Amino acid sequence: MRRFNSQTLILIGATLFVLYLAGVPLIMLLYGSIRSAPIGEPGATYTIQNFVKAYFDREFYVLFLNSLYFGIGTCVLTFLIGTFLAWVSERTNTPFKKLFVVMALIPFIIPGILATISWILLLSPKIGLINLAVKEILGLEASPFNIYTMWGMIWAESIHLYPLVFLLMSAAFRNMDTSLEEAALVAGSSTFTTFSRVTLPLMRPAMFSVLLVIFIRGIEAFEVPALIGVPAKISVFTTKIFLAIHQFPSDFGLAGAYAVTLLVISTTGVLIYGRITRREERYATVTGKGYRPRVIDLGSWKYLTCAISFFIFFLAVILPVFILLWSSFIPYYGVPSRELIAKMTIGNYVYILNYPLAMTAFKNSFYLSVGSATLVMLLTSVIAWITVKTKLPGRALLDNMTFIPIAMPGIVLGVSLIWVYLTLPIPIYGTIWVLLLAYITKFMPYGIRAASASMIQINKELEEASLTAGGTWLQTFTKVILPLLMPGFTAGWIYISIIALRELSTSILLYSYNSTVLSIMAFDLWEGGQYTYVCALGVLMVLLLVAMAFTARKLGAKIGIAE
Amino acid sequence: MADNKDMVKIDALEKYFGEDKDRVHVLKGVSLHIPEGSLYTFLGPSGCGKTTTLRCVAGLERPDGGRISIDGQAVFASGERVYVPTNKRPIGMVFQSYAIWPHMTVAENVAYPLTIQRRPKDEIRRRVGEVLKIVGLDGLEDRPAPKLSGGQQQRVAFARALVNEPKVMLLDEPLSNLDAKLRVAMRSEIKSLQRRTNITTIFVTHDQAEALAISDQIAVMHGGKLIEVGSPHQLYSRPTRRFTATFLGLTNLIDGKVLDLGNNGNLGKIETKKGVLNFVPAPSLKKDQRAVISIRPENIPVYKEKPKGVDNILEGTVNEAVFMGDAYHCKIAVGEDLLAVHIHPFFNVNPGDKLFLHLDPQSCNGLPADDTEGVDESMLGD
Repeated sequence: MRRFNSQTLILIGATLFVLYLAGVPLIMLLYGSIRSAPIGEPGATYTIQNFVKAYFDREFYVLFLNSLYFGIGTCVLTFLIGTFLAWVSERTNTPFKKLFVVMALIPFIIPGILATISWILLLSPKIGLINLAVKEILGLEASPFNIYTMWGMIWAESIHLYPLVFLLMSAAFRNMDTSLEEAALVAGSSTFTTFSRVTLPLMRPAMFSVLLVIFIRGIEAFEVPALIGVPAKISVFTTKIFLAIHQFPSDFGLAGAYAVTLLVISTTGVLIYGRITRREERYATVTGKGYRPRVIDLGSWKYLTCAISFFIFFLAVILPVFILLWSSFIPYYGVPSRELIAKMTIGNYVYILNYPLAMTAFKNSFYLSVGSATLVMLLTSVIAWITVKTKLPGRALLDNMTFIPIAMPGIVLGVSLIWVYLTLPIPIYGTIWVLLLAYITKFMPYGIRAASASMIQINKELEEASLTAGGTWLQTFTKVILPLLMPGFTAGWIYISIIALRELSTSILLYSYNSTVLSIMAFDLWEGGQYTYVCALGVLMVLLLVAMAFTARKLGAKIGIAE
Repeated sequence: MADNKDMVKIDALEKYFGEDKDRVHVLKGVSLHIPEGSLYTFLGPSGCGKTTTLRCVAGLERPDGGRISIDGQAVFASGERVYVPTNKRPIGMVFQSYAIWPHMTVAENVAYPLTIQRRPKDEIRRRVGEVLKIVGLDGLEDRPAPKLSGGQQQRVAFARALVNEPKVMLLDEPLSNLDAKLRVAMRSEIKSLQRRTNITTIFVTHDQAEALAISDQIAVMHGGKLIEVGSPHQLYSRPTRRFTATFLGLTNLIDGKVLDLGNNGNLGKIETKKGVLNFVPAPSLKKDQRAVISIRPENIPVYKEKPKGVDNILEGTVNEAVFMGDAYHCKIAVGEDLLAVHIHPFFNVNPGDKLFLHLDPQSCNGLPADDTEGVDESMLGD
C-alpha cells in the first residue's frame, strides 16, 4: 500500500507542477493582453485596445518585416555554414574532420551576449578591429563593414547559432541508412545522381525542420537585436516588447499584445515542425547492421574543404575569443598596438571581482544554473517515465504540456511571468525564485527530450526485476532508472546549465537588484559603455561554464554507467 | 552451367579496415570462382569476411589487393590499378535492410535503375510490370514504399535488383530480417526465382540450414579466409576441414592418430581411445598425423546386442534421450566421452540402457586435428 502512495504522490505532484509551469503563464499572457491595466489596479476592464494599438501602428509592419528578414537571413546563413561543416565531418575524407566536430561545438559555450559584443568590437564602423585592419591594409577611407545593419545582425546571429544546424544536420547525415544510397549506386546511378535523387529527397524533411527551428530561434533572438538592432534603429518583435516594458511608465498591455503576436508566429512554426518530424518518423525504415557512413573521396578538393572549415572556425571562435581576451586585459578600449600591449593589466578582473554586485551575480547565476538544471532533469525524468513507461490516460497531453515552453520566446515568457506574479498571491516577484521558475519552465522541453530519449532505451524488464526483488517504486526509480538514465541525464544537465548561465531575454524582464545574474550584469556594463569590464566578466563566465561542464561529465560518469 | 564458364572470379583478395593501430585484416587472400548461372553461397559466422567479400564484388568496398572480374571483365585489379565504380558494374543487389527508398512508390523504386538510364517510358512500364509479376507484387505499383510489410519490401528489393537484367545478383543476408516462417517460404522462392531467371547469384548468410537448402555451391569462410568450397551434399557428408564439419550441422569428434591411410577403395585405420576404427581420410591427411574423426549423429545405427562380424562397434550407456518427434536425440556415454546419436523413434530408448553403436566407416570422416582455428568446441554435440 505504501508503494502505491509514494508513486502516486510523486506522479501527481510532477504532473501538476508541469501543468502549472507551462499552462499558467500562457493563460495569464492571453488574459493580460486583453486587460486595460495590470491586474490588481483599479478600473481595469476587458479591452482589445492593446491589439488595436499594436496593429494599427505603422511601425508594426516595419517590425514584422524586420523580424522576418532577420529570421530568414539567419536561417539561410546558419544553414549553409552548419550543413557544410556537418557534411564535411560526416561524409567526406577531409583531413582533421574529427577536430572540426569539437571546433564546431565551441561557440556553444560562449554566451550570446558575449558573442554579440565581440562582433561589435570586430565590425563596428568606428572601433571594429577588422574594419581598422582592412582600412590600414587596403588604404581605404571608409570602413568596409558595418555591424549596425540588418546584414550585420544576421551575421552576428548566424556565426553564433550555426552549431545547432551542425548538430542536427550531422545527426541527419548519420542516421540515414547508407544502404539506401548504396542501392542507388548498385542500380547504376552516378554519385551526383545518387545525391540528387536519393540523398537529397531523403534529407529534405530533416532540412526543412532544421530551417524552421533556426527561423524560430531567429525571430525570438534577443541579444543581437538589443545590442546591435537598437542602436541601429532596426526594431524586431523582441526588442519592441523589451522597450514597451522598459519605458516609463511600462506599457504591459502593449507588450502583451506584441508577445501574443510573437507567440502565434513561433507556435505556428513549432506545430509545422511537429508535423514534419512526425512524417520523418514515418520515413524511417528498418535498418540492418550499421555500416560506417559512406565517405566520399574528395581527391585534392579535400584541402579546399579543410581550409574553408578552418576559416569558419577562425571566424566563429578564434577572432571573438581573441577580441574578448584582448579587451579584458587593456585599461581602455583600443586596437592592439605596441603602446597598448605595454599597458596590459589585470585591472579589469580586479575591478570585476571587487564590484559590489559581481559576487551576488556570480552566486545567483551559479545557483540558478545548477538548481534549474538539476530540477528540470529530475522533473522531466519522472515525466518521461510516465509518458514512456506507463499507459496512463492523458500521458500524450502531459508530453505536449512539457513541450509548450519551446514555442515561448524568452521575452514572451518574461512578459507572461510578470503577469502571473503580479496577479497571483505568491510573493516571489522580484526574487531569485521567480527566475528559478522561469528557467525551469523555459528549459523543460530540452530536459524532456534528453530524458525521454534515454528512457525509451531502458528495457521495461530491468525495472520489473527491481519490483519483483521487493523494491518500492521510489527505490526502483532512484536505484535502477536514474542510474541507467545517467548518460542522458548528464547530457541534458550540462546543456541546461550552460544555457541557463547565459540566459538573458527572460531574466531581463524579471530581475531585481538582488537577483541580478551574470548576463544581466554584462548587459548593464555594456550599456554603460564599460567595454573592457564586460570582456573581463565574459572571460570569467566562460571559465565558469567550462569548469561546470567538465565537472558534470566527471560526476555523471562516476554515478551512472560510462558513456 | 553446361559450358562451366566462371561468371565471377575473385583472386587473392585482401582487405583491411581501420587505420594504423586499429587496422584489422578482414580478408586474407580470398580466391573464389563462381560458375555462370549458379546460386553460390558465402557461409560463415559473423566477422568471417563474407559480407565484405560481397561488398567488394559490388564495389561498395575497395579491396587492398587482389583481383575481381565479372563476366571476363576486370572490375578490380590492384596491380593494373583497375577499379570500376559500383554504378558501372553489371550487378543487382538486395540489401539486408532492403534499402527501399521511402520517398518513392513501389513502381518508382523498381523503375529506378531504368529511369536513370533514360529508357523509354513504355519500356520501363512494361519491364517493371514484368518483374513485379515475377516477384508476385503485381497490382501494388502505386503503393508508397513505407506501407509495405517486411516480406513485400523484400520482394520490391528483388524486383529492383532484377529489373536491369544484371549479370550477377548479390544478396546480403536477405532473409535475416524476416520471421522464421516467412524465412522458409522466401528461401524456396529465392531458389525458384534463381532457377527461372538463371542469373548468377551470390548469397551471403550465417545460417547453415539456409545455405544447405538453397545453394548449388557453398564457400565456407572463417576468420577472413576461405575454408572450403563444395556442394551442400559434399560439404555436409564429406567435409575435408574440421571447421566445415562442426559449422555445418551437428557432429561428433573423436581424436586419434592415423595408422593407415588405406588406398583404392580400402578404408583407412585410425587409433583412438576407443580402439582402432576404420575411416575415410581427408586428402590432406598423412600417416601418423594427429586427426579427428567426424561422424554425424544420424549416421550411428544402434543395437541392443553386439552385431557379429562388423567393425567400428562401440559400447555405451544412454545418458539422456530427448524425444523430438522424428527421432530420439540421445547423449550416449562411451568411456569418458558423450556422443550425440539420433535414434529412430521405433527404437525405444531410455536413460540407462546399454547399447552398441555402429560408427559406419563410410561416414567416419578423418580430418586434420590441428585445423582448429577459432572453432567453438562448445557447439559440438549440443
